[in-house]
Amino acid sequence: MSEITVFAAQKIITMDPSRPVATHVAVQDGKILAVGGADCADVWGTVKHDNSLADQILMPGFVEGHAHMMAGSMWQFAYAGYHDRIDPTGKLHKGMTDIDAVVSRLRDYAASLPAGEPVVAWGFDPIFLPTERLNRSHLDSIADDRPVMVMFSNFHLMCVNSQCLDMVGYSRDSNVEGVLRDVNGEPTGELQEMAAMFPVMRRTGLDFRGLSQTPDAVRTYADVCRLAGVTTITDLFSHMEEEDLGILTQVTGQDEFGLRLVPVLAAVGATPQEIADKANTLSKQSTDKLRMGAVKLMTDGSIQGWTARVKWPGYVGGHPNGLWNTPPEQIFALCETMQANGVQMHIHVNGDEASSVSLDALEAASRAHPWPSARHVLQHCQMMGPDQFRRCQEMRVCTNIFSNHIWYFGDQHAALTIGEDRATRMDAARSALDAGVNVALHSDAPVTPLGPLFTAWCAVNRQTMSGRVLGEEQRITVDEALYAITLGAAYTLKLDGEIGSIESGKRADFAVLGQDPTIVDPMALKDVPVNGIVFGGKVQMN
Amino acid sequence: MRLPLTVISGYLGAGKTTLINRLLAEDHGLRLMVLVNDFGAINIDAALIESRQDDTISLSNGCVCCTMGADLYMALGDALDRTPRPDHLVVEASGIADPAAIANAAIAEPDLSYAGIITLVDGLNGADLLHDPLIAPQVAQQIKAADLVLMTKSDAPSSDLSQALTEHGLRCPRALQGNAPIAPLLSDVVPRPMGRPTAAHPLYVQWNTDAPGKLTRTELQDRLSARPEGLYRVKGFVDGPDGMHEVHVVGKHVDIRNSVTQTPALVALGLSDRLTVEQIDNWWSGR
Repeated sequence: MSEITVFAAQKIITMDPSRPVATHVAVQDGKILAVGGADCADVWGTVKHDNSLADQILMPGFVEGHAHMMAGSMWQFAYAGYHDRIDPTGKLHKGMTDIDAVVSRLRDYAASLPAGEPVVAWGFDPIFLPTERLNRSHLDSIADDRPVMVMFSNFHLMCVNSQCLDMVGYSRDSNVEGVLRDVNGEPTGELQEMAAMFPVMRRTGLDFRGLSQTPDAVRTYADVCRLAGVTTITDLFSHMEEEDLGILTQVTGQDEFGLRLVPVLAAVGATPQEIADKANTLSKQSTDKLRMGAVKLMTDGSIQGWTARVKWPGYVGGHPNGLWNTPPEQIFALCETMQANGVQMHIHVNGDEASSVSLDALEAASRAHPWPSARHVLQHCQMMGPDQFRRCQEMRVCTNIFSNHIWYFGDQHAALTIGEDRATRMDAARSALDAGVNVALHSDAPVTPLGPLFTAWCAVNRQTMSGRVLGEEQRITVDEALYAITLGAAYTLKLDGEIGSIESGKRADFAVLGQDPTIVDPMALKDVPVNGIVFGGKVQMN
Repeated sequence: MRLPLTVISGYLGAGKTTLINRLLAEDHGLRLMVLVNDFGAINIDAALIESRQDDTISLSNGCVCCTMGADLYMALGDALDRTPRPDHLVVEASGIADPAAIANAAIAEPDLSYAGIITLVDGLNGADLLHDPLIAPQVAQQIKAADLVLMTKSDAPSSDLSQALTEHGLRCPRALQGNAPIAPLLSDVVPRPMGRPTAAHPLYVQWNTDAPGKLTRTELQDRLSARPEGLYRVKGFVDGPDGMHEVHVVGKHVDIRNSVTQTPALVALGLSDRLTVEQIDNWWSGR
């Protein structure tokens, strides 16, 4: 028999209804042997007591059901965002609240790079800096002897310096949609949408391929997760080529790699049957730290980009309805084929029309190929009302709700996208729980920062950036939110038999916290310190 | 040489794959590279297939067909980096994509040249799509963005389809003749002396001149903006006091840039149901 370690903690919040709290957890072979008091594992033989966590609060390792691997590797570039963020090394990057601060930060960054190396920044969000539009002269003042590119937080826009514009021949004579011009007809430096950005990115070697699936990207993703107390995370739209699988298997297989990674295959680029076959093949290649087999469907766009498909009365201000990324007919075809082949789906739905069509498609698929335990998951669910949650409950469809949106974009939604009335019932975790639906909560990192306790705080308090409460009737309790970021999310990944709670038989994956989230003021939930994780029984402190 | 890019657009079932199958099998002498969404319905005569890998089918006639995976831009970059560079790139837009977004990449990227959007309309099913509130705006946008709209599966639009098109402010498409060669839709506007002579095509009337005269850039711009309705493509080199201009017109898109080519020449194609050679000639000579 291998060694038994009994960890003492100030308190263990188990999420196990039979023993909600404990003081000790015994670990053997990376799994939980027993939970209880100091003597909980004595019956199993000689134990070694470990008191290094005796002052800490332990929770089940957090589970992030909707994020992207880029969340780690974006940090190879400079951060230019409005909000404070923490990089994978644990360093705090203060948010920049005006353009001068962005310029000055990037000037320092440029000076730290080898001569001639392109200056690339990310995370800039003009919605928060309304005074002046970032333009080429700002960026020329950072460096005029090499490319300077600032990617906006939505990844649909960037601003570049004059050298970039020259490199691709964007001038007053060129006529490219998405190249913004000033009153004199000169390009301002702002490039909108990929078609206009692509020539610059191609020539500067800025490649989003390199931000996922490389060994470094996988490892920094694990660093970002550890800092947030996350021990299981998705990469929710993974392309998974043959060589990617090799890299993922190799990196996640290393002993010191402390993360369970759930790459979810993008359901694009092949016929539904080919996608289903690929998912089922991948499923068989899963390991304890690399879990594959599910697919992700895109349906509509985003609400803040006015590209989500919304029902009547549509967008305020006369914006036309959004766009399908996958036509409804194809959503039906994909749902039917995945269901027929036993492939679990995660379906991106922002607008309420997209969720409605997806529920219709799931219903049709389930009539053709009954599969009560499919656990398909609607992702984002931002405009779903009680009627749609009741349908989820009837069909046992799970929801993963984008609660971070309330804080980051809630004010904009009330004023600019769907109006006050529907904004107050956005990301309606209360309605979902009341309907009896399984709920997880997510960050969609790097769209918003990874941090399940912050995400839980959003669902509990529903406070926006302006400080108001948006939809107090939709608030959920701290206990409900903590369940959602552990067992609730584990359920959506079909991993609730292995992770999500601290009970014997499960994997010894814990979040190590500096305070008890169940007794702090709910408004302080986001400030509970994450001091590290225990992964497979190994302590990894931040 | 810039790589010309044509977008084949159309909703699911409009016949994009059928068109691409024909294109790949035709004897056109071009090394085409075709980017498709998936190989599902690609049906190439086995005798033509030279080799087949996961994401690429190479044909003995020099053409290649690739799946573009999830990222169009990645695929465009790979196509540009390919040696030898293909003669022409054809991109099958997904059934829901706005072809203008893809075309815009061809306009933006200096190594690509824009060769038009061809949108296919399903002659049988098109009216239903244009009446479906879920999908009609995106289907209409595909037709609106097109430089050439072709109807498949029917020789003449039904009254339902005509009416639906009119309601959306869209022009009635030409029927795609069953046996007409497809490649000329993409590539027959190669000005001499660089290209081979072009074959007659039932969809087009063709006009060309070796002596387009001398025009300043502004005069050239004015001349091109006054081009007659139904003129689909104009391509070639026009001399002027300010140097040689390369002219490139596809549908609504006009591109003029400076060129080092010495030989002036100009070719134009018009849609045969809307324009005659004489009308093109009159336009260019200012009559």
